[in-house]
Amino acid sequence: MSNSIANETINHSKNKEPFSIVRLLTNTYFLNAVSLIAFFLLWDYVARERIFHDSLARPLEVVDQIVRLTQIKYAGTNLWGHIWASTQRIVIGFFLAAIVAVPLGLFMALNKYVNAIVKPLFDLFKPMPPIAWCTIAVLWFGIGETSKVFIIIIGSFVPCLLNAYNGVRLVDPELYDVIRVLGGSRRDEIFHVCFPASFPAVFAGLQISLSVAWTCVLAAELVNSREGMGFLIKRGMDTHKPELVLGGMLLIAAAAWLTSQLVSLLERKLCPWKRTIDNL
Amino acid sequence: MPTQEAPVKIRVNNLTKRFGDLTVLNGINFTIKKGELLAIVGPTGCGKTTFLNCLSKLMPATEGEILIDGEEANPRKHNISYVFQEPTCLPWRTVRENVAYGMEIKRIPKRECEERANQIMDLVGLSSCADLYPNQVSASMMQRIAVSRAFAVNPDLLLMDEPYGQLDVKLRYYLEDELVNLWRKLGSTVLFVTHNIEEAVYVAERILVLTNKPTSIKAEIIVDLPRPRNLIDPRFVDLRKQVTELIRWW
Repeated sequence: MSNSIANETINHSKNKEPFSIVRLLTNTYFLNAVSLIAFFLLWDYVARERIFHDSLARPLEVVDQIVRLTQIKYAGTNLWGHIWASTQRIVIGFFLAAIVAVPLGLFMALNKYVNAIVKPLFDLFKPMPPIAWCTIAVLWFGIGETSKVFIIIIGSFVPCLLNAYNGVRLVDPELYDVIRVLGGSRRDEIFHVCFPASFPAVFAGLQISLSVAWTCVLAAELVNSREGMGFLIKRGMDTHKPELVLGGMLLIAAAAWLTSQLVSLLERKLCPWKRTIDNL
Repeated sequence: MPTQEAPVKIRVNNLTKRFGDLTVLNGINFTIKKGELLAIVGPTGCGKTTFLNCLSKLMPATEGEILIDGEEANPRKHNISYVFQEPTCLPWRTVRENVAYGMEIKRIPKRECEERANQIMDLVGLSSCADLYPNQVSASMMQRIAVSRAFAVNPDLLLMDEPYGQLDVKLRYYLEDELVNLWRKLGSTVLFVTHNIEEAVYVAERILVLTNKPTSIKAEIIVDLPRPRNLIDPRFVDLRKQVTELIRWW
């Protein structure tokens, strides 16, 4: 009896239906493929018909440009050098921001005095778009790496802090009652409830921060740089090479996607309890 | 019933709770004997949850005292367990870790924690999903985890706030049997609050009936039926009717 109730059966099987045209046409993967192919065909058509004159490269020209970049040096650096230049800025800026902002956000949620001191400053800077800092950063730190990392820190800081803060504040209050009734201390509440409960929100914040960081690095590189993917885009515009501009855009999208996958991977490692079982 | 001769474990003197002008609990006096399973029934909205929150010290009482073994109740010193209406598992701990959590807070040695957790999970049939996380088991299992966690600390006083109110009838009968089983095996002192009269007569040794707000105790009924109890035994039906008459608000 106990087992039959404890092990509630989970339906793993899928209904098998015979093949038919309708089933193929309504298949999700099929529709995904149709959508992508149609997009690239349309792009190729628009480029071939020169609707934007000579300012749109054909998809294969973009791929070709990226392949060529791996073989030659562009402005003294090959493709991997440019990718690494941007990624390095991201990694440094993002980590510095996260290391300060996440603990600060947690502290703000846990301690009303810290909150009272930090909140007004934070509210003052929060609505300022990070890219607005571009020029002042150059004035302060010159055109070197420091100014670019600075902008990334500014941009990634806000979502990290905000999510860590809200992550703690939105914890189900009944969970605190559980600990209090059992005679747990404030320390138990913080370590056993606050921190683990805020993890998913913290990670959501890190993801947003990361995408903001990529926006920031691009903006900083467009303003002034000698290497990086933003530099490739800028150089493509200056020399009127649409395939280089589009290639740079694709590269930056791929790099941003990869870093966000890394953060997701880390989240899955640290929060195994988020995994659900289908059909339960 | 043997526990009716046992020494008094919990003594509640003149428990009163006011929120501003609103008196919710009005001078409640009762005792619970060691190892007794006491049910409290009352009409909806009579302040049952407030009553438990005061007993568990989550909420300060306006007046009166709650004594455990003659001492003022204190969650830090006494073992008080509380099973809430809603299942309250920590989502980031596996079923096993959730069951052991109360013992961990009470700083019970690791070996003993594991042994007791395993014993209780065996009793309630949670062993097969010991390493799953709460979001991977069903709602009824979550409530069982909370019940197991509460029993695992060998509480001086175990409070249950309509723990099975949300479950369907079949599961509820099953879990009520399980509760009685756990209680008999572990000898805990349990205070079971419910609005379900049948449930109260089925599990309890003694029932306290509450009045409407401002709440006080209207009657005490001793249930001296043998276990396992039979829902259609005429004496069972009589007792159920008797309690129903006492709280009928229609």
